[in-house]
Amino acid sequence: MTDQLLWYTTRAAGAVSLVLLTAVVILGVLSALRFKTAGWPGFLTTGLHRNLALVTLVFLALHIVTAVVDPFTHLGWLSAIVPFSSYYRTFWLGLGTIAFELLAAIVVTSLLREYVGHATWRVIHWLTYAAWPIGVVHGLGTGTDAWSPWFFTLTLVCVAAVGFAVAYRLVAGSRDPLAAPRASFRSGVERKSEQ
Amino acid sequence: MTRLRLLAGPDLSLGPERLHAHVERLGPTPVLGHSLIDMLEASGLTGRGGASFPVARKWRSVARHRGGPVVVVNGAEGEPQSLKDRVLMSTRPHLVLDGALLAARTLKASQVIVYVGEDHREARAAMAGALAERPDPELRRARLVAAPARYVAGESSAAVNLLDNSIASPMSKPPDPHEAGVGDAPTLVQNVESLAHVSLIARYGAEWFKSAGRRGGAGTVLITVAGAVPSPGVVEIEAGTTVREVLDMAGGVDPASRAVLIGGYFGTWVDFAAAQDLALDPAALRERGLGLGCGVVGVISSRGCGVCETARIMRYLAGESSAQCGPCFFGLRALADACGRIADKGSNADDLARLHRWARDVRGRGACRHPDGAAMFLQSALQTFAPEFSTHPAHWRANAGGRDAA
Repeated sequence: MTDQLLWYTTRAAGAVSLVLLTAVVILGVLSALRFKTAGWPGFLTTGLHRNLALVTLVFLALHIVTAVVDPFTHLGWLSAIVPFSSYYRTFWLGLGTIAFELLAAIVVTSLLREYVGHATWRVIHWLTYAAWPIGVVHGLGTGTDAWSPWFFTLTLVCVAAVGFAVAYRLVAGSRDPLAAPRASFRSGVERKSEQ
Repeated sequence: MTRLRLLAGPDLSLGPERLHAHVERLGPTPVLGHSLIDMLEASGLTGRGGASFPVARKWRSVARHRGGPVVVVNGAEGEPQSLKDRVLMSTRPHLVLDGALLAARTLKASQVIVYVGEDHREARAAMAGALAERPDPELRRARLVAAPARYVAGESSAAVNLLDNSIASPMSKPPDPHEAGVGDAPTLVQNVESLAHVSLIARYGAEWFKSAGRRGGAGTVLITVAGAVPSPGVVEIEAGTTVREVLDMAGGVDPASRAVLIGGYFGTWVDFAAAQDLALDPAALRERGLGLGCGVVGVISSRGCGVCETARIMRYLAGESSAQCGPCFFGLRALADACGRIADKGSNADDLARLHRWARDVRGRGACRHPDGAAMFLQSALQTFAPEFSTHPAHWRANAGGRDAA
């Protein structure tokens, strides 16, 4: 029973991680649009984005730990850290390892943003656009439930939602409310020719 | 009577002291090497640009980081009420350049840049003339760069940004300029008054520096007395001199005056009576939660209105945000709007509550300390002018405001 519990937990935590991560990505994509209304203040988007990301890590940790300690899989801790090192479904599990490590880098640099600097943080944050699809492919490739109607539908909904959010952002463009005042300030403190 | 040090010598009205007169009076720039940093540490000299950061610690940090350092002589003086850097550069330019030369030699700097506010014409002319007189190779190669006349232009990372990218807006830290500044080299951005003190400490030693000072203060300080005083202007005082003594030097002030602003626009309003016995000394002020800042002591008279004056200064500070960080740009604008509503339309509980809450919220949320400085200034106003803020009347004239109000 315990063994089955572990296996069920792995699968459930994987599915929950997919949903949470998708929500985090959508909130992140839309945060650049600075959406806000009377009932949804601007900080809600960024606050949710950050807190959901931390919750996602908890479920990802659960997903990984239960998979590794499951006595039937014999995955070993190395496969959780080194991509493509597992004997079992080498390629598909390796994708999961990569996605997790990218996310870990994104979270760590976000928590240490003051120390790594804004530019570094931003570049590493762009890796989300690699981590999320890799995670989705990992789920489709190795998921026990991948082709079951409920999980397949869930994956489709997630992909469509992120696709829609990215498309919307591209169409709407980044509305930086500081662009105009910043440009005007800069033109005032710009000095091309120095004595 | 105060022992004059930076401003000792010929009368200030005679303009910039020439190199031969300077050397005749004080002797040549001493050659000291690394021991100068120990002397600066023993003297307890702190930076006079606003942050009162220990000078020796900044020099050590620059020396510790790799690469040929850059020395930026900071005479931007963007603070509207402050005059002391201008007066110093216009009358004792070689004292400043001695300090720059000592910094360049001690830190083995590859470059010296003299950064002077573009509106400070006299000061720039004096520094240019003084540079041309210097035989020292470090100073012969020095560049004189005009600082844009904006409040943030003298902030150290803004100075670095101007020198590297031609735009004087502050940059996020880390790295601090003393780790990686101009061209990524460790960069000493030091206020002109601090450098002038360095040149005298190098000549006469740390003990001599500390021999001036009252009530535990060390050395002398340049103070700009501004506002409702008979003779505003720059005075040199011994550290630890009280506000009362400084105001006496400025011709004596109406004892019924309302309040004193200590440290300039990033400073603190203090009730006039409570300010009288404050000792103007960086360490003593810090113990009381105040700061010497850039050394401005501004008086608001009994007829002046603290609310209107605060609203005016908040509007100015909001306009000086470089619009890089949302909390600073939008936060200071919202604070200035709420202040202005109380000043123009009369006190109301909603705006007062907002001012208190937002002043806490914007702190620590910018790449530089601009929002923090403005918020702390506002908080001191809310405290010192609490009665005025809660009872301020509406002004019938649309553009009433400033000192004639209330």
